[in-house]
Amino acid sequence: MANHPKTAVSIGPADLKNCVMTASGTFGYAGEFAGFMDLNRLGGIIVKGLSLKPSGGNPPPRIVETACGMLNAIGLENVGLDAFIEKKLPFLKTLSTPVFVNIYGTTIAEYAELAQRLEEIPEIAGLEVNISCPNVKKGGIAFGADPATAHDVVTAVRRKTTKSLMVKLSPNVTDITHIACSVVDAGADALSLINTITGMAIDVETRRPILANITGGLSGPAIKPVALRMVWQVAQKVDIPIVGVGGIMGTGDALEFLIAGASAVQIGTANFVNPKTAVEVVDGIEAWMKANEIENIHEIIGSIRV
Amino acid sequence: MGLSCEGTLLRAVPGQFIMVRLKAGNDLLLRRPFSIHGIVTSRGNPRGIELLYKVVGKGTFRLSEYREGDSLDVIGPLGNGFTISESYERIHIVSGGIGVAPLRFLAMHIERVTGGKVKPQVFLGGRSDADLLCTKEFIDLGLPVQITTDDGSSGDQCLITDPWEVSVSVNPPQMIYACGPMSMLQCIGGIVSKHGLLCEASIESAMACGIGACLGCVVRAKDINEQYKHVCIDGPVFNIQDLKI
Repeated sequence: MANHPKTAVSIGPADLKNCVMTASGTFGYAGEFAGFMDLNRLGGIIVKGLSLKPSGGNPPPRIVETACGMLNAIGLENVGLDAFIEKKLPFLKTLSTPVFVNIYGTTIAEYAELAQRLEEIPEIAGLEVNISCPNVKKGGIAFGADPATAHDVVTAVRRKTTKSLMVKLSPNVTDITHIACSVVDAGADALSLINTITGMAIDVETRRPILANITGGLSGPAIKPVALRMVWQVAQKVDIPIVGVGGIMGTGDALEFLIAGASAVQIGTANFVNPKTAVEVVDGIEAWMKANEIENIHEIIGSIRV
Repeated sequence: MGLSCEGTLLRAVPGQFIMVRLKAGNDLLLRRPFSIHGIVTSRGNPRGIELLYKVVGKGTFRLSEYREGDSLDVIGPLGNGFTISESYERIHIVSGGIGVAPLRFLAMHIERVTGGKVKPQVFLGGRSDADLLCTKEFIDLGLPVQITTDDGSSGDQCLITDPWEVSVSVNPPQMIYACGPMSMLQCIGGIVSKHGLLCEASIESAMACGIGACLGCVVRAKDINEQYKHVCIDGPVFNIQDLKI
């Protein structure tokens, strides 16, 4: 029986000390959470979706709570590449935890340029290519809903980067495995799924949509069963690591994703509710492995019995 | 509601807020922001904080079910408080409804730091008499209080901004602190701009995290290059002239 279970996993060329990452858009640029945890205990950090130019995002209201979840339509507000490098990167460089940058563009050329510029920064471990944001009109889901377009985006990024290349998939498609296989063919190192599920909420008294954007992305515990099903489906079709994300609130949820076939997980909405969730899941997985006499995390990954 | 607590919460300043987790399984998933209403002291030492809330939805209803001895999961103090300066001698406090929550804390703070020398003029508005909270607390501090209600059940039947604007034109204050419904703040913003006054307003917004990560709680900034400000980390107290409300 090992005293210290091995929880390290590899996501392409990036080696993670454990399988717990924080999801883009829910963890800021990490510094916001430094007061709540030792950030170096995380397996990986994925920073807020980044575009070449700064983006102000959507008008308010941008968020609303729904049953067991929340809708958001932030609209990928971000500081832009130059300000990211100047203002956010210096802190991220001080961390030993691998940092992934979530990138999005409105054209394939923009995705490629982002990849090229970030390739020059050795402290960045990888990219998460966002082809699945439901809240921006251009880019985002427009690239993620069609296997051929998704292939083009990932091919263009792959040409520009030697870093770990993870592609974040949308659940708002008819068959997620089609997109998954296409993206793998284009050279992705890993897949992260799922992004939020498109939804909406209405104020009955005013009969207006609550979000200014009308629709938003649903996240939180409400979407976990959907995310889990999709991870399981994709795991049967691809041979690259899958990073499971969607409604993980604690250790039990994370283990479900690993068993379904995910090599790692991302904590998202739970960071808002309990800012310490990610480290608690790191500890929780280790404790569960010890209790079950499991020495290596790979004994859990994809161990589903059907 | 009084909350016994330790640490940095006891050093909260007026205008700051906390994020409260109301446990109800996975329902009421997100924390709720609440302004800090005051610091509770015992024998001169800070022992806890106070919240003032109005039951308007599921979250505040759940909060109303908490009883003495229960524990509450909170994060804070968060955000930036009101700017307090000894050079402000003529101060107005303008409140609409539950907006009084941070303003009572502010009035008590001003009383303490100035040794009671500065007596802000208080304007309290509400829909009806039942919405007028803390009137006694302000009077007990020796502050002049003007009251209005929409239905005339207490004070003059008009908007609080009506008598306030008259007062402003007669003797302009050096600082105005305001909190209340957006319509009230819009009106105040217009008058402040017209008379070239200084006003800080505490803004309410839905928010998921309270620490600048979710980016859900934006208000429009007047500066078009900036576009939006985040209530949680740029506020919740803003110079009203910096906002486009």
